[in-house]
Amino acid sequence: QTEQESINLTLAHGLDNRHPVHLAMVHLDEQLRELSQGTMHITIYPSGQLGSEREVIELLQIGSLAMTKVSASSLEAFVPEMKIFSLPYLFEDNDHFWRVLNSDLGQQLLAAGDRYRVRGLGYYDAGSRSFYATEAPIHAPADLAGKKIRVMNSQSAINMVRAMGGAATPVSWGELYTALQQGVVDGAENNPPSFYLSKHYEVARYYTLDEHTAIPDVMIIGTHVWDALNPQQQAWLKTAMDRSTEYQRALWQQASDEALAAVEAAGVTVIRPDKTLFQTSVKDYLASQSSLLPLMQQIAAEASR
Amino acid sequence: MNRLCNGIDQHLTTLLNALLAFLVMDVTWQVITRFLLADPSSITEELARFLLIWIGLVGAAQAYRHKMHLGIDLLAQKLNPVQGIWLNRFIHACCLLFAISILIIGGCNLMWLTWTLEQFSPAMHLPMALVYAALPLSGVLICLYAVQFIIDPTAAGVTE
Amino acid sequence: MATMTLVLIVVFFLLLATNVPIAIAIALATLATLLLTIDALPAVTTIAQRVAAGMDSFALLAIPFFILSGYIMGQGGIARRLIDFALAIVGKLPGGLAFVNVIACALFGSISGSAVAATSAIGGFMVPAMEKAGYPRSFSTAVTVTASTTGMLIPPSNILIVYSLASGGVSIAALFIAGYLPGILVALALMVAAALYLKAQGISTRQAIEPVPLMKGIVGALPSLIMIVLVIGGIILGWFTPTEAGAIAVLYSLALAVGLYREIRWADLAGILNKSVSTTAIVMLLIGASAAMSWLLSYATLPQQISEALLAVTENPILILLIINLLLLVIGTFMDMTPAVLIFTPILLPVAESLGLSPLHFGIMMILNLSIGLCTPPVGSVLFVGCSVGKTSIASLIRPMLPLYLAMLVALVLVTLFPSISEWLPAQLGLI
Ligand code: NA
Ligand code: NA
Repeated sequence: QTEQESINLTLAHGLDNRHPVHLAMVHLDEQLRELSQGTMHITIYPSGQLGSEREVIELLQIGSLAMTKVSASSLEAFVPEMKIFSLPYLFEDNDHFWRVLNSDLGQQLLAAGDRYRVRGLGYYDAGSRSFYATEAPIHAPADLAGKKIRVMNSQSAINMVRAMGGAATPVSWGELYTALQQGVVDGAENNPPSFYLSKHYEVARYYTLDEHTAIPDVMIIGTHVWDALNPQQQAWLKTAMDRSTEYQRALWQQASDEALAAVEAAGVTVIRPDKTLFQTSVKDYLASQSSLLPLMQQIAAEASR
Repeated sequence: MNRLCNGIDQHLTTLLNALLAFLVMDVTWQVITRFLLADPSSITEELARFLLIWIGLVGAAQAYRHKMHLGIDLLAQKLNPVQGIWLNRFIHACCLLFAISILIIGGCNLMWLTWTLEQFSPAMHLPMALVYAALPLSGVLICLYAVQFIIDPTAAGVTE
Repeated sequence: MATMTLVLIVVFFLLLATNVPIAIAIALATLATLLLTIDALPAVTTIAQRVAAGMDSFALLAIPFFILSGYIMGQGGIARRLIDFALAIVGKLPGGLAFVNVIACALFGSISGSAVAATSAIGGFMVPAMEKAGYPRSFSTAVTVTASTTGMLIPPSNILIVYSLASGGVSIAALFIAGYLPGILVALALMVAAALYLKAQGISTRQAIEPVPLMKGIVGALPSLIMIVLVIGGIILGWFTPTEAGAIAVLYSLALAVGLYREIRWADLAGILNKSVSTTAIVMLLIGASAAMSWLLSYATLPQQISEALLAVTENPILILLIINLLLLVIGTFMDMTPAVLIFTPILLPVAESLGLSPLHFGIMMILNLSIGLCTPPVGSVLFVGCSVGKTSIASLIRPMLPLYLAMLVALVLVTLFPSISEWLPAQLGLI
């Protein structure tokens, strides 16, 4: 009978099983087993074996999978409020970023997906995204002029790069290496571990740490699964997720530092620019985002706390 | 019923031929925009993938009517004509079950979900429900043909 | 987990045995198994989504293109000119028409993506021609059927594209180049086996087709051979992706058939398009249904369990490779190639990789292995098409098939044991 009471949550994601986020999920499973005294556990399916990010979100809504990890930017299509994270220079530093995520606002955003049948459980660190280029270094926004910069396939990402003066070009992540190599695009933007693990540093020799956006990863659960848990079980899952986040932040910092060191060792020129130039270049763009203005003010208020 | 099926079949053939020809032109255009115009089109790739889903699913219904899907006919060869008729009914009942459960019910639920949850394709901003509409459409066609095969096992199914 | 596996196998084989279309048998077996763990509505919706998702890939688009260009080349006089080319080179040798058949199939395979297209295009002409020259019809058909499978390895190849997807992104360009030497190896092995069989059976043949002068054969085939350079060269140089190369192949073959050779009229195109739609749809439904079953297997964590069980049997790499090859031969006997690749690559590739095989080498080995299955009953699409084109029964083919199966097995053993047969050429071109 105990066998039947044990709850198995399925968790599918697209990263391989050495990635810090996957390790944090393993930690999540361990914590959940411990808290629930073995009555709850998680089966993790890594490497996209159960579908792409969009497809897995659909499977959560359909009800055949319980959980997945997605970038906040791919959640935009389901939870429009998540667009906020694609805006540049929202946060003063990493502390500010996490203060916002842990605040009521951060928790409200997690719950905002309820009407789309998905609910956020917690955040993972995905670092800050910065530009890299193949031919010429980027020291200031002026250097972006005329450069074709690969962006994620999201309207916010396209608008941001345009605002900074670059020619935003959506290219799928899998094709980006060859696109950089063949000059289809002149550059792209991403966090240090992705820049390193994708081997894009082999062809893009200039990495400019302008850190324009900090887009967190979000762990989501289908509401049909969430609602079927009793309050105690929900609390266990929440606590386990908080511990997993804690664990992942440390792992991520380490992975990020190692990635930067590795690309520098491989001969990549790492540029630490004057970030205020980049911040100024997006002032008008940020001001034009009237629908997100209240959220932006709330975030700014967290900084002064 | 056979006349209805033949009529549908003809229009379907025209539609599918046009979709395949369009697919060739779409991908050619993709090469041209990137290679000659140096201004890569952002929609050709997504359009091509969606066309393939439509050709694959709707074409599968047509291929079903023409009895072109591969099967293993070892048992069928060993049966007498009467048994053969009942085996055929069983086969087409299975196809009917597949069409109703997965293509029609599953496909409609998928359309409904993606429609109410407001999902759009990234490049063309098409409702994903439109892409998935090929599932129930194919299902309805297979149902129609399956019922015809079950009622009249001698229905040729081949119009050529 | 054991119940799930049992239900899956029982339902699947029951439906297969009763002649239910394979794709639908796969989908229904998946549904029956999924219903053991998931409610009905999410289960059917999930399968519907996996069927659509399985078809939703830019790489798969090459398949309709290479099918379409294959039909255009078969009907548009390009196949005929490749046969002339082979005649000009080896037509005068004793037993030469068997060699012509093999070489023409391999050449056709080098511009077309599907073995079925080669069987109908080359067999339609070669089998009657060889009969006039005194070759038994069954033997000629058997040669066409087996030789057509070289086109699975020699690029362009639809099945290598499917493998690239199933393996999680082995470069299609590298796979294409890796297929050349193994494909040629199979062709050579088939020619040797055919010559030995003709000698052993004491079949005397005469020259029945008018010999083609060397220059005429070469000049006639040149525009068709240029297509190899255009399509494969374009992929290697990064001008276009394999999918785009497919569209280029369609336009180029159309230009040859309609413009230069004038053997296809615009009015014929509707028929060719329709045949291509049907062939494409049959393959796509198999791909969609296999994607659903593959999802179910992952969901039931079956790949890990099978890998662990295989590795627990023995640690001898040669023995494990032997087991994998035997398993694939059995799978190929009963299953069509596309679902076999989609379902079993995720299961067997991790085992092969743990033995130190590269995904490239494993892929070529797997495709060569499953090519044998294409020529065996009860499920063998190339065999069926060959029998209908050659107007022979499956039963009469068995005898002349035996030495040809053996030749393919020898090639398989060589390709399994010597990775460099697959890896040398792509390494030379800097693709791996
Ligand atoms: Na080929
Ligand atoms: Na077979």
